[in-house]
Amino acid sequence: MGGPFLEECLMAGAYAPTTHTGKWADERNLWQRFWSRSNERVGYLFILPAFSHLVVFVLIPLVFSAYLSFTDWRGPNLQNAPFIGLKNYEFLLGDRQFWAAMKNTLLFTVLFVPISMAVSLGVAVVMNQKLRGVWFFRTLFFIPVISSWVAVSIIWITLLDPQAGILNYLLGQIGIAPVNWLGSPATALLAIVIIATWKGLGFQMVIWLAGLQAIPQELQEAAAIDGATRWQSFWRITLPLLAPTTFFLAVTGVIGSFQVFSPVYVITGGGPRGSTDVVVYHIYTRAFEAYDMGYAASQAWVLFAVIMFATLIQFWYRRRQGEETMF
Amino acid sequence: MRRIAPKVLFLVLVFVLVLPFSMALGQDPVTLNVVGVTVPPEELGSTLDLAYQALVASVQEANPNITVNAIETPPEFETQILVDLAAGTAPDIWRAGHAQLPELIEGGHLLDMRQCTEVVPELTMDRFVPSVLAIHQPEGPDGPVYGLPNGFTPMVFYYNTESFERAGVDLPTSDWTVDQFLDSVQRLTLDTSGRNAQDPAFDAANIEQYGFRVRKWAVLENLAWIWLFGGDVFSEDYSTVDGYLNSPETIEAITFLRDLVLQYHVAPEPNALDMMIQERAFPAVFLDGAVAMYPRGHWELVGLQLQENYSPDKLGVVGYPVGARDATIAFEDGWVINAAVADDPAKLEAACQFVNVATDVEFQRSKVETGLEISANQASADESVSLSAWPDLEAVFVAEMANVMTDPNARLVAMGVIEPRLDLMFENILAGADVTEEVNLAVEEIERELQR
Repeated sequence: MGGPFLEECLMAGAYAPTTHTGKWADERNLWQRFWSRSNERVGYLFILPAFSHLVVFVLIPLVFSAYLSFTDWRGPNLQNAPFIGLKNYEFLLGDRQFWAAMKNTLLFTVLFVPISMAVSLGVAVVMNQKLRGVWFFRTLFFIPVISSWVAVSIIWITLLDPQAGILNYLLGQIGIAPVNWLGSPATALLAIVIIATWKGLGFQMVIWLAGLQAIPQELQEAAAIDGATRWQSFWRITLPLLAPTTFFLAVTGVIGSFQVFSPVYVITGGGPRGSTDVVVYHIYTRAFEAYDMGYAASQAWVLFAVIMFATLIQFWYRRRQGEETMF
Repeated sequence: MRRIAPKVLFLVLVFVLVLPFSMALGQDPVTLNVVGVTVPPEELGSTLDLAYQALVASVQEANPNITVNAIETPPEFETQILVDLAAGTAPDIWRAGHAQLPELIEGGHLLDMRQCTEVVPELTMDRFVPSVLAIHQPEGPDGPVYGLPNGFTPMVFYYNTESFERAGVDLPTSDWTVDQFLDSVQRLTLDTSGRNAQDPAFDAANIEQYGFRVRKWAVLENLAWIWLFGGDVFSEDYSTVDGYLNSPETIEAITFLRDLVLQYHVAPEPNALDMMIQERAFPAVFLDGAVAMYPRGHWELVGLQLQENYSPDKLGVVGYPVGARDATIAFEDGWVINAAVADDPAKLEAACQFVNVATDVEFQRSKVETGLEISANQASADESVSLSAWPDLEAVFVAEMANVMTDPNARLVAMGVIEPRLDLMFENILAGADVTEEVNLAVEEIERELQR
């Protein structure tokens, strides 16, 4: 303690004797301390644009949507939005279609998160090798990430075509009959998982690569000297040391999966037979096709609660494993 | 200074003298913001574009004080208009599909067109096809009129005459019954060996030509079936579906549709239909004879003409079969005026003048050229039979006007939620789900929606 900090505080009058007493005096001192630090003032000025953006485009809509969820707003005038308390939430409890959409979303999450993580890890391990032109392949794998969902969807609709699609052609080569990937309730969600995995592969690969490159090479070398096979080395050294990366990808993957929308909107429209009707798509149709904004807002808040719950479970599990620092 | 002063004095004098005359002679200039009289950029110069240009020109010519500001229809207009209305920036006049009416009426955004008949007496209601005008009169013929009809199309069956010829089946007539329909589609459905669906040796796994097409679209294609079986989906006041959607007549109609697909095999199963249209659009598949008959509106004529295998000789249309009722559904769009316009008498008159010209025979005649829909102006619709490029087909559409029943989308705000639920019900049933069970599930869920 002491030195320049104490000097600054004394100059600002924070520790100066004062005739004021009690709470008012404390507040006054705090205020003086705040304004006396010119560098802090400048700092607040710097964050002002981002903070204003956050308030206007995130916090206010967030609070507004929470309010909406207690109204029966069916647009367009907010004056015609009677406050109905918890009625939307009550209705939602018995809304079979909403819970069917939630079930589809959970199924998508359960399939997408492990499959996409495993595939992208495999690709990252290969891309982590010192091969000639590996940067080219890394770029290639990343291209879908920056491609438009609409363009990607059109490509995949062609690839999954029951008659002319390349996937069915390849399956046909090994004697499997053509599958109506997007037209059958049994396979449509799986097709969406495949497409989403392909689209997100590059992003997850980059995160895995960062994790892989942070693992000290000496550990792998020591294990090799001790006679560990490459598989043992991967399983016992690489994978455990990738735990923070795994956790990050799992958490962001689950959150992202619960919010899946674009491929469903562009490719299947929630069908066939509601098999790809995921929650965000369901909310979208309720809000922007049926203009039932109040009820759609309540669905959005329930989705938020479910995502929050799923994330907390993941954090709790992580803590139980003994990891206190998350990222 | 002395030389300029007389000139200025002269100009002021002229201005003072002329101004009262010009105000007395002309009316206040009015600018009308109108959405629905432009085409997308790729359709510039098309028949429709020229028709819209002529409409705007004739409104301005007949009313020199009116300037029509034709606003390009924004994307997602149905949502955009709600936002614009809330913001007070909505156009004065726009074209609205009948499904948008309940929301706009409930919000008090539409002018009661009876106000127009007061300021523009020549705009009378008797110029419109009564069954189509009724769509704009939710409280009956004596109640308010929200918007006026522009064009419409009843749903009819398109059939391929070559498919009928190939199967040796007589062409359908307007008075055909449900039994005759079933007999026809069974005989029209041929397997690869040429046997029809009435033949005991018929091979349902290898069908070359289907008699009909059934899809999940509850309102678009299937509601007319329910009506003609004597059933309905809603009560008359749209307050309940219980006792209507699950009535014996409605269940019978739905079962009939399911049976066309799953029992009689005269219509492709959803999966087979999907496969059929992977490579080519359905109209091309139909003209090739893969399906002999399907329900569709007037707009389909335009799509069919664009196909390479199109030939006018192949094409015929006929109404839905006659059952307990002779009914069909119509899809319509009308001119609506922003209720806010009533605050400005000059604008109100201008808006009514615009609608008067837009619904008059002159502009409505353009519908025959564009072929997208039938004019809702009775005189124009009547003369379209002789003016149309397809007089025989047009005559069927015009005759069907008398059988048009109102789409529940024109009455019920909650249809935005209910219609997809009905579609899902049909989708599940056509995939083999139990009819009564599915219908009861739908009734339960729709009742919850209606009681919210």
